[in-house]
Amino acid sequence: MSDLPAGLPREQLLRYILALADDELMLGHRNSEWTGHSPILEEDIAFSNIAQDELGHSLVWYTLYEQLTGKSPDSMAFERGWQDFSCCRFVTYPRGDFAYTVVRQYLFDEAEYVRLSSFGRSSFPAFKDIAGKLLREEAYHLMHLKGLVTRLGDATDESHRRMQAALDAAFPQSLGIFEKLEGEDALMAAGVFPGNEVSQREWLQRVVPVLASASLKPPVNTQNGTSSINCTPDLGGRQGKHTEHLNHLVDDLQLVYRIAPGAKW
Amino acid sequence: MTDTQWETYEVFHQSKKGDPHMYVGSLHAPDPEMALQMARDQFARRLKCVSLWVVRTKDITATDYQNDDFFAQTTDKSYRDPKAFDAPTKELSHE
Repeated sequence: MSDLPAGLPREQLLRYILALADDELMLGHRNSEWTGHSPILEEDIAFSNIAQDELGHSLVWYTLYEQLTGKSPDSMAFERGWQDFSCCRFVTYPRGDFAYTVVRQYLFDEAEYVRLSSFGRSSFPAFKDIAGKLLREEAYHLMHLKGLVTRLGDATDESHRRMQAALDAAFPQSLGIFEKLEGEDALMAAGVFPGNEVSQREWLQRVVPVLASASLKPPVNTQNGTSSINCTPDLGGRQGKHTEHLNHLVDDLQLVYRIAPGAKW
Repeated sequence: MTDTQWETYEVFHQSKKGDPHMYVGSLHAPDPEMALQMARDQFARRLKCVSLWVVRTKDITATDYQNDDFFAQTTDKSYRDPKAFDAPTKELSHE
């Protein structure tokens, strides 16, 4: 186990690391549900690759958690109850149609890109190292997802209708990524990260023009180049207040592990 | 029936700068940019890769298998074969 640099608030930092790991684990799992079912063979492979990347990112965060607490990634992923996870609700919802999946992954990737970029300036050296590694993969995810969003947004009447419906559902949910964490102020004061409010603003500046270029309208008011949110964010996940969807997801995720807990492969 | 498939692209993979791009297979994509992304996931995930080319299949001009006169060698041309010395096995490099 390694020690934290002096001055960093331990409990708050651990809580934040888990939130990051849990987001990636659940989204990776939801994305993996497309394997063998995507609309196009090539996209099936590309999307399964992205699913694996997200699971890989969760392992990176769980491994950091292990270094600080001694608790293994397996125990964090497979031995916790569904209400113990602190992922945002957004990543727990069923995969929907492919439009919903694409919109969700795009909105999440932009958020991940923003938060990883901010870790480049973190006072916690482990965050800097991890950001450097993960950002290179995220850059590709973003390129791919931006490609899908801008093409599907206005390709045909049906693709536009489905993408707009997906955005209507996904946008308020996606704001849950930026739900304020308990103890977040202490992390901001210690220079670990700039805080979710700042990240959300930066994220909004990135997603609004891309969506507009795809003829998609998020529930956002824009005045003098500044966008503000015009919907009710779907919050609660960071406090463990989840919906039944996560219960089912976790049942599925932990099914094999629970047959023989601690088994070695 | 309408063809709902995207166009096919042929994919060429280079494992080291200076090596020739080798043909690895084909895929469906809506445009060249997406074809490159699909090619990355299908042909460059495990093999080391520094460069990919994609070419619309329909942009390739090819010979016809039926027209075997095109390749016919009807007289003895063995004198043209490099038998008296070792031919270089390494491909000529180009960047």
